[in-house]
Amino acid sequence: MTTFSGFRFDGRHAEAVPVIVHIDEGELIVKTADGTVDGTLLDRDRLDRVVVSEPFDRAPRLVWLPGGAALEVPDTNRSFAQQLRRSGVELSLAVRLQQRWPAVIVALAVIVAMLGLFYFKGLPATARWLAFSLPPRLEARMGEQVLGVLDKHYMRRSSVDIERRTRLANRFALAAAATAPGVRYRLEFRAAGNDGINAMALPGGIILVLDGLVRFAGDEDAVLGVLGHELGHVVNKHSVRQVLQSVGVGTVASLLWGDFSGVAASVPVVLGMLSYSREFEREADEFAIAFLRSQHVSARPLYDFFVKVRRWQSRLEDGQVPDFLATHPSTDERLDRLRREIR
Amino acid sequence: MDDELPPEAGHAIGAVFTGRGSEYFRIWVVNLLLTLLTLGLYSAWAKVRKATYFRHNTWLDGHVFDYHGNPVAILRGRLVAVVLLTGYTWAFQFSNAAGLLTVATLCAAGPWLFMRAQQFSLANTSFRGLRFGFRARAGEAYWTVLPVLALWFAPVVGGAFVSVETWVYWTPTFASVLAWPWMHHRLKAYQRRNAVYGDRDFTFTPATLRFYGVYAKGFAFVVLGAILAAVTIGAVFAWWHRSGALLISSRIETWIYGALAVLAFYVVAWPYLAARLQHVVWSRTRLCDIHFRSEIKARPLLRIVLKNVGLSILSGGVYWPWTTMALARYRIECIRIESGVPLSTLAASLAAQPVTAAGEGAADAFGFDIGL
Repeated sequence: MTTFSGFRFDGRHAEAVPVIVHIDEGELIVKTADGTVDGTLLDRDRLDRVVVSEPFDRAPRLVWLPGGAALEVPDTNRSFAQQLRRSGVELSLAVRLQQRWPAVIVALAVIVAMLGLFYFKGLPATARWLAFSLPPRLEARMGEQVLGVLDKHYMRRSSVDIERRTRLANRFALAAAATAPGVRYRLEFRAAGNDGINAMALPGGIILVLDGLVRFAGDEDAVLGVLGHELGHVVNKHSVRQVLQSVGVGTVASLLWGDFSGVAASVPVVLGMLSYSREFEREADEFAIAFLRSQHVSARPLYDFFVKVRRWQSRLEDGQVPDFLATHPSTDERLDRLRREIR
Repeated sequence: MDDELPPEAGHAIGAVFTGRGSEYFRIWVVNLLLTLLTLGLYSAWAKVRKATYFRHNTWLDGHVFDYHGNPVAILRGRLVAVVLLTGYTWAFQFSNAAGLLTVATLCAAGPWLFMRAQQFSLANTSFRGLRFGFRARAGEAYWTVLPVLALWFAPVVGGAFVSVETWVYWTPTFASVLAWPWMHHRLKAYQRRNAVYGDRDFTFTPATLRFYGVYAKGFAFVVLGAILAAVTIGAVFAWWHRSGALLISSRIETWIYGALAVLAFYVVAWPYLAARLQHVVWSRTRLCDIHFRSEIKARPLLRIVLKNVGLSILSGGVYWPWTTMALARYRIECIRIESGVPLSTLAASLAAQPVTAAGEGAADAFGFDIGL
């Protein structure tokens, strides 16, 4: 009969009592190891009434007995584990998986596949569904909140003359009625402290245009094209989807490395936001093209504007308000698409 | 008398940690798979298995620690934490009133949750068959944690109502920064002085000034590191721009600056702060005749962190379990325990906490673990 030496703690005192443990006919028998031939019997418990800890490479097995006592059984050569298995003590599925390297590699592959599927398919679809089923009142509140913060800290009233603004707003309304009937939007003209060149779509359909953009673009058709692009973001609810997607990425990242540090978990969030916006930009561009087409306006001024911004941008310093290129990365792919439209 | 003996003349032992990266990696992967398959629910069971792995591999005087956490209690605590944090993240976007309501809820529930979390973690840890414990007294918890929470939320609440340019915003922000070491010390002292092992109480000698000293030095390191990093990166970017070799958009540039600043803080300042604070906290902690000493040094810790960050980035996060093990091993094995009498003699005199009417099971019934 195989015996194992270990220690017994009664749970009432810190004393470690050396004991001899053996398993016999489905029972765990614990006797003192006091040098006498047989020792004093301390415990005799059916195996299905004791709980044995998970096996680890260099840790002893801990056995919790029904009476509140615990055993600590060193098991460097795994003979105690073998004896337990022979006596019918099952290991959990998780333990059986983690003991085998091939299973672990397969698990890792499954994780990577699941994460990929989640990132490229599940998350965008869920965010889209959520964004379109969000109560409009909540989305509008979010937009107002963002606009409020921007107004309080960074924005001034627009100084573009009122005639020009009204003309733009009217042309915009016509095109919007043709391409996005029933979509709620609100055009807001503002000036940024640093004369930033930008336009952005906030949640709830608020389209913010900065004076810097109106002046820099010069051509009214180009401004209309940019506004059409922003309306594309509104129609597709990009801003809310972006927020929801980055929340999703953040949640999964914290599941992966959560107890590592907040920093490590937040890096994928930033990366996620960078790569998602490309997809959205393409969608908004498609919308802008249809938007201009509906009013028989050429996309050439818009194309020229993009090229001009790109040339100009490399000379600009960063301001508090993100500038156009920063929030609308104008890739060659996007310019190619516009060039094709012009022809 | 034994008490009079200087600790060096008594009995000293070091803690040993036998956890290894290759084993922890397998546990991590399987936990992750099951967590993803159950949409996060398994994370509570994963946490129990990880906590058990750490405790079963931490040795002191030939015996290991044990963990008894109940996954269902952890799951419950996580759900509460998720609700509170989600509320906190979104409330101010919704409206100022909702934001204030969330902050008020956090202030009202925070100290209690913090206290329960301490209790949960300690009461579910045992050594030599005896549980650790935490004297959870609501009054003390609120008295300790509320001022810390108030200072923490002051800038958030201020920012919602006034412009960032005004003194109303900056005064509380500045005050929170100045009070940070005081807040940290207040929480640490609270954790330590209420800890219990069996029927014995831990004691903690306050060290507010030492905390300020450590933080001041750490801050100096950050400033030095930031200046060095800024000069280096600035020079590299200037060269890039001049040579025109690579056109980086200004946004990416800002992002790189930000990431490097965070990395610089994590790599340079964190090891220093962690090492020094661990040293201060342990040297002020006592359990009857037992003194603790932490021989942790900033430089070896810095080497470990540098290696961990580098390999984690290179491996796309897969090296993470090895990182955790290396850090845990160093931090645990730096702790030494000193007493005038042999520990086995001491152990014989230690008994379990006498069971009070509402005592046993209270930690489990109201058990919370919010991952603090």
